[in-house]
Amino acid sequence: MNSRTMWLLGAGLLCLAGAVFAAGTQGLAETSQLGANPNPVRLMRPPVAPLSAMAQLGKEIFYDASLSSSGALSCASCHSPDHAYGPPNDGPVMLGGAALSRQGARAVPSLTYLDRHPNFSIGPDKGDDDNVIDLAQMAAIGQQAARTTKTAGGSGASANIVPQGGLFWDGRADTLQDQALFPLLDPNEMDGGSAEIVADKLRRAPYANRFVELFGAGVLRNQRLLIAEAMFAVARYQVEEVSFHPYTSKYDYWLEGKARLSESELRGLQMFNDPDKANCAGCHTSAPTRDGLPPLFTDHQYEALGAPRNAALAGNRDPSHFDLGVCGPQRTDIPEQTQYCGMFLTPTLRNTATRHAFFHNGVFSTLEQVLDFYNFRDTNPEKVFPRGADGAMRKYDDLPQKYHVNVDVTDPPFDRHPGDKPAMTEQDEADIIAFLKTLIDGYKAEN
Amino acid sequence: MIIFNENRSFDHYFATYPNAANPSGSIPFVPKPHTPKVNNLANAHLLVNNPNNSAANGTGATDPFRLDRTQANTRSQNHSYTPEQQAVDNGKEDLFPKFTGRGTAGGAGAFGTNGQVMGYFDGNTTTAFWNYAQHFAMSDNAWTDTFGPSTQGALAVISGQTNGAQNIVGTSASIADGQGGLTLIGDTDPAYDSCSSTSSTVLMTGKNIGDLLNDERISWGSFMGGFDLTLKNANGTTGCARTTFSSNVNGTIVDYSPHHAWFQYYKSTANPTHARPSSVDAIGHTYEKGGKTVDPANHAYDLEDFYAAVKAGNFPAVSYIKMSAYQDGHAGNSDPLDEQVGNVELINFLQKQPEWRETAVIITYDDSDGWYDHQYVAPKTASYDPTADQVNGPGLCGLGPQKQPAPKGLSGKPVNGRCGPGTRIPFIVVSPYARTNHVSSTYISQASVVRFIEDNWLRGQRIGGGSFDASSGSIMDLFDFDQDHSHDYRTDALFLDPTSGTAITSPPDEHHHH
Repeated sequence: MNSRTMWLLGAGLLCLAGAVFAAGTQGLAETSQLGANPNPVRLMRPPVAPLSAMAQLGKEIFYDASLSSSGALSCASCHSPDHAYGPPNDGPVMLGGAALSRQGARAVPSLTYLDRHPNFSIGPDKGDDDNVIDLAQMAAIGQQAARTTKTAGGSGASANIVPQGGLFWDGRADTLQDQALFPLLDPNEMDGGSAEIVADKLRRAPYANRFVELFGAGVLRNQRLLIAEAMFAVARYQVEEVSFHPYTSKYDYWLEGKARLSESELRGLQMFNDPDKANCAGCHTSAPTRDGLPPLFTDHQYEALGAPRNAALAGNRDPSHFDLGVCGPQRTDIPEQTQYCGMFLTPTLRNTATRHAFFHNGVFSTLEQVLDFYNFRDTNPEKVFPRGADGAMRKYDDLPQKYHVNVDVTDPPFDRHPGDKPAMTEQDEADIIAFLKTLIDGYKAEN
Repeated sequence: MIIFNENRSFDHYFATYPNAANPSGSIPFVPKPHTPKVNNLANAHLLVNNPNNSAANGTGATDPFRLDRTQANTRSQNHSYTPEQQAVDNGKEDLFPKFTGRGTAGGAGAFGTNGQVMGYFDGNTTTAFWNYAQHFAMSDNAWTDTFGPSTQGALAVISGQTNGAQNIVGTSASIADGQGGLTLIGDTDPAYDSCSSTSSTVLMTGKNIGDLLNDERISWGSFMGGFDLTLKNANGTTGCARTTFSSNVNGTIVDYSPHHAWFQYYKSTANPTHARPSSVDAIGHTYEKGGKTVDPANHAYDLEDFYAAVKAGNFPAVSYIKMSAYQDGHAGNSDPLDEQVGNVELINFLQKQPEWRETAVIITYDDSDGWYDHQYVAPKTASYDPTADQVNGPGLCGLGPQKQPAPKGLSGKPVNGRCGPGTRIPFIVVSPYARTNHVSSTYISQASVVRFIEDNWLRGQRIGGGSFDASSGSIMDLFDFDQDHSHDYRTDALFLDPTSGTAITSPPDEHHHH
């Protein structure tokens, strides 16, 4: 039976909301002395309820450092609740393993705002349909289809046959439950050893009895089930615990008419949404959905942006090593889809201003560097990329030459050329950063 | 009143009734003393060593397992006419994972495999229905009239049968009935409905209970979420594309499903353009107020119209209710928690009306969704389509055409395509006249609803033309009409919290309009 379901497509819903929203930001000039949203909206936040038994169990596991080989790392070590469930350190990646000396492969993503995250798919999401088209088939269609340009407020994102959804920088896990097991077993992270070792620790954990209560006595004897249910509990904790998706930023309250933005923040918002300027909202959706769900600041799609190589990563000492995101090497199921080599998930920008590691390889440590990258990558690449021994500028030096063609050169501001005027002035960048700081949770609204 | 929900089997909702697991932190369910034993998995000793936990089911092999309230959002299982028959496996009821099971990608344990079909909820999730069962009456022997999905159930509950289909656009989900006609065995949209598919539609050529009620001038109505095409939802959606967001299924769901629109399948009771009633007073009636002009709505309205009519003191004698899709209970687009909100809000509202003392609400289902149910009964309505029918072997649903001929269809000759009964489904009666904490084991089916209406309002008249109303069981065992209700109707109300499903003492606020 067809359930006539229309799943959330992230930016896909912008089409309608965008119309209302554009009108909202156009009126800003007249009201900027006040800084209030001229068209306040009602935001639908997720319902808040006490943690279920499942979520309480998940919380215990989330904070259980005994599951790591060092005995010092829990989920919360790298996904710190005091840092928007992102990394608490200043470096590009976190350290793990038995002696806490091994670099993780990539910058630690935040675990916030994943409650509405779709599963990995390629192309328009078809929902729970009987006619399942597999990834390879969809990718083949995508090779022939022209890609639409994504602009803030436009509907380009929903039509694209590109990878979308899924967790990690490469989308290799579909659900929070699947995701949770990777760091637990990764030798560079919690280094849990093996499923046997993890299951054995769970059986002896102080919360072992909760498994029995929730899943019956048989669960302790069935290793696969025990681990799966443990990871389900962790995922459920992340869904129920409100601090994973509080929607309490100054911007949220501004949308609701309960906070005023400063002149700089307002200008930043306009730059952020302006297709001719930064065009950030082309991918980092800034408008509420038509159902009143707060914006997630991501369209959940993948982009190859060609960020510079990070020499601080141990793995990069080998000049033939490349992290290609969707097509590998961490992700292993679609290496033949080379048109996706170099693509990484567009992250939410909520709380991004609290981070010190940006992009998948953590090559940038400040928002100024990130904005410079967007601004100068094509007009003044020498400001962004290094020069080789021969003096030649090495644009896209973190991607093999044959994949440079995958890099996005159509979505503004990446549609510019050397010598063109950069999309943003220094003041524009500063204002955008001021706006990004309004996306930090925990703002105290006026009333 | 009939609230026709979607896609749950009896064991899927009542496997351990009245005992819930009550893990710490859950919404606890405490059974009343002297709750009768029901025919479920616990009492049939099928929670362990279940025949579905066998090699034949491959990686989906599993014993039944509890679904937590946190797992309310499941996949929809396979509920097509033939796979449901194959799962029955000649009465062994042991091939559900193989034939009707579907898993959720990345789900824990059996939840992630075809074994999900063996999952069941308990009173920590389906709290309201368990409470209604404790306070009022339910059946543990209620069945779909045939195997298969929604449209068949929607037709059975108003006409008692599915023979007499006529393709209007393209082909429909039907099979040759063996007498030159068609029997519907799947979901196809009703012809001419302005929201229907443009590539495949069907009409039914028989009669339904609406025709009989019209003849006797008994007021009646179909009230479906999303039916009013003039309304605008909070999210700005309009017309056939009105949608509602559900945080439980994390999706935006289209409110109106044409293939659930029972009366739209019959020319005589259709309102293809979704025309609005001439007034609130006209709701339920064939004629506009004054009795001269035929009302444009032809007895088909939106669920919002039901609330409006009852508030205006115009409560139709017979009301068929379908929730908006996000609240209809169908896995994939709905879930037990959203379903509970819709059902409880409506029943709370009804219990506050003066008419409550003479109201009965039947809560039942269009199909089982393919969810596991352990009970087998040998086919009562046989069918021998060589490929579609499989209950007792290839081409066999019944003892064979000689020993057990297929029942007569619309034209009076035996027809194929109505293999049944299908699967056991929940069936609850909420009414001051319902017996208290009573479980009936009288065999009934969706057609029994038609029979009840005929017996109550139409002096036992029957539809004829192959309808199962004549042969269906009676639901009277769920009622006690001798009880004196003249002064105690308040005590016969059970107000529940729509979100938790637990009892509350004072009537809650008015239903909020969408």
